[in-house]
Amino acid sequence: MSGIASILNTDLLVATIRLSTPITLAAIGATICERSGIVNIAMEGIMIIGAFFAAVAALYTGNPWIGLLAGVAAGGIFSLIHAVATITFHLDHVVSGAVMNILSFGIVRYLMVMIFGHPGTSDAIPVGLKAYQFAIPGLSKIPVLGPVFFDQTPIVYMSFVLVILTLIFLKKTKTGLHLRAAGEHPLALETIGVSVYKMRYLGVFISGLLSGLAGAYLSIENSISFTEGMANGRGFIALAAMISGGWSAIGSFVAALFFGFADAFQVRMQVFKVLNIPSEIFIIFPYVATVLAVAGLVRKSRPPKADGIDFIIEKEGA
Amino acid sequence: MQITKLKPLFYTVIVLLALVGSLMYFASIFSGILLILAAAVLYFVYYGLSVGKGASKALALSFLKSLLIPVIGVASALLIGGIIMAVTGYDPVTAYKALFYGGLVKNWSVSVLNAAPLIFTGLSIAFAFKAGLFNIGAEGQYYVGAVVATFLGLHFNMPALLSIPIIFLVAGLLAASYNFIPALLKVKTGAHEVITTMMFAQIARYLSSIFIRGMGGSSDGPHPYVTDPILKSNWLLKMKSIFPHANYRVHIGILIAIGMALFVQYILTRTKFGFEIRAVGQNKDAARGQGIKVGRNIFIALLFAGFLAGFSGVNQVLGLDHKLYENLNAGYGWDGISVALLASNNPIGVIFTSLLWGVLAAGGQYMSRTVQTPNSIVEIIKGIILFLIVAKYIYIHIGHKFKNKKKEEREAVK
Repeated sequence: MSGIASILNTDLLVATIRLSTPITLAAIGATICERSGIVNIAMEGIMIIGAFFAAVAALYTGNPWIGLLAGVAAGGIFSLIHAVATITFHLDHVVSGAVMNILSFGIVRYLMVMIFGHPGTSDAIPVGLKAYQFAIPGLSKIPVLGPVFFDQTPIVYMSFVLVILTLIFLKKTKTGLHLRAAGEHPLALETIGVSVYKMRYLGVFISGLLSGLAGAYLSIENSISFTEGMANGRGFIALAAMISGGWSAIGSFVAALFFGFADAFQVRMQVFKVLNIPSEIFIIFPYVATVLAVAGLVRKSRPPKADGIDFIIEKEGA
Repeated sequence: MQITKLKPLFYTVIVLLALVGSLMYFASIFSGILLILAAAVLYFVYYGLSVGKGASKALALSFLKSLLIPVIGVASALLIGGIIMAVTGYDPVTAYKALFYGGLVKNWSVSVLNAAPLIFTGLSIAFAFKAGLFNIGAEGQYYVGAVVATFLGLHFNMPALLSIPIIFLVAGLLAASYNFIPALLKVKTGAHEVITTMMFAQIARYLSSIFIRGMGGSSDGPHPYVTDPILKSNWLLKMKSIFPHANYRVHIGILIAIGMALFVQYILTRTKFGFEIRAVGQNKDAARGQGIKVGRNIFIALLFAGFLAGFSGVNQVLGLDHKLYENLNAGYGWDGISVALLASNNPIGVIFTSLLWGVLAAGGQYMSRTVQTPNSIVEIIKGIILFLIVAKYIYIHIGHKFKNKKKEEREAVK
């Protein structure tokens, strides 16, 4: 048991936060998206697009902050394909999401070869966002919690803020209320004169921005180059986190932390070889948790009522 | 009247011609196409003689009509792909020449090898779609099929004629049972199968690693862990042992896949179970009203989809690889979605869309080797083809609106 105790330390918690950040970002994005009534399984693809464009922009401008903006913007723009396909053209949401994931792979591979001459890994960016790690004076001195929460890199801080902002947006703002109504009672929303289409476009777009940010985290903060396949299923884990978290921002955040912890634990188990358990047992934890959550075994996890349900406005004369 | 008496004769000749023709064609003996064409012509002639000339013509027309949208979609995607290549500084004409020469002629054998596993996963997804289900986790059932086939292939020492069907069956059944929990949850709690099968696919991806390492084998330094090769008696028959000039890797898996497609088509169109599945897929409430057990049909459909996807893994292990690598990330589940969608979930259509996907992949590799155009353009073209399926929805959407308008006008006139 002393073996396990040796890896249970502050480093493990720091790693937990770092591994859960991209999942948190994509998961709260997905929460907003699904709350508006659009099922989103395209986070993986959007993340890849965001990661790629963040790295390319950071490489060519030499400025990781421009890379960050490029990644977020690319994610947002790419997600609009999903919005147009599902909202305007009434394509099945899951089908569109699956196609988005397939498409992202092709786009990135093609651009990789075009820009860098080879698939695989891009050239390294001169400065990553990791260089901007800063400790918040005072707070970072708190034992354990200090280094874990208050001595972090920029996008990690942003993810904390964004969780709170998402919570406020969904619960306290008028737009957030309308957006949730689009996912629960679209007809009622339309009756009071608010466009369901607009709310759903907004939901998909915000989720694209956040998934793009998650991608940027992977390529220019957690790493200094883009590698194909670097999302490595995180988009699906984000989906898992959102579902396990019961389609809520805080729930998604907590679930993402749990999954990040399982991942960090697994990596350390492998590195330090403390227990002879296949690491895969820990890797599958998020997926098992999700199945349990939708099965209703853990607690009631219910999607918005009109989630994934097409909404067609019957206009006069049409 | 007399012609119907000759039905068995006609059918035997047609099936034989088609079988020998496709066997030859898949073994890269391209004159086989003549036999396939002869079979098709014979079928139309027979159909015309037995049902009437008009019927034969209508059949041909409806066949051509069903090709219309996919052909337009593929052609426009190729056009857009060509424009992308031209804009980014590659010559689309040379690239496409290499792509199709590589995919259809030079490396046709690779195209065939690519297509076989896709047909199985495509069928799995198409069948589930018919029941109104989205088996997005076909990839996971593929892993289960592959792992079970490897295990049995390593230890099952029996004549090939006995062992291979048993391996297919056992692996298929276990892959089907892998969908048991998603199916049960779907029926009992309404948990969406997209979520559950997707999660199960990820679980299978990682758990298969444990099983692969547990089956013995070796890891060669940087290479992924790989099992020992399976017993030679469990290998699928190679085309080379029928036609000496055939590529040494091509095996008869493609014919098993096509046979399976015909079987699925038969189930869907000619059996009560198939009718019920389609009824449930179209409208659950209406199906329930007709006394169809909706839950039971959904349950069986999801299991059968798993069975079909499992075959894909068996096909790869017994036919092509003869061993199993750790960290297998085959992608047949995702591509299976593409080919099923492109075929509008028609089992026969899945054969052709899988072959198209196989040709694009093999041709893309050839293209990147010979004319140095990145073969990822193929992935983009695939994506565009798929989004042009959206165009089909637009087409239906517009067609629907148009019809409604006409109807309203007619009513207004009245």
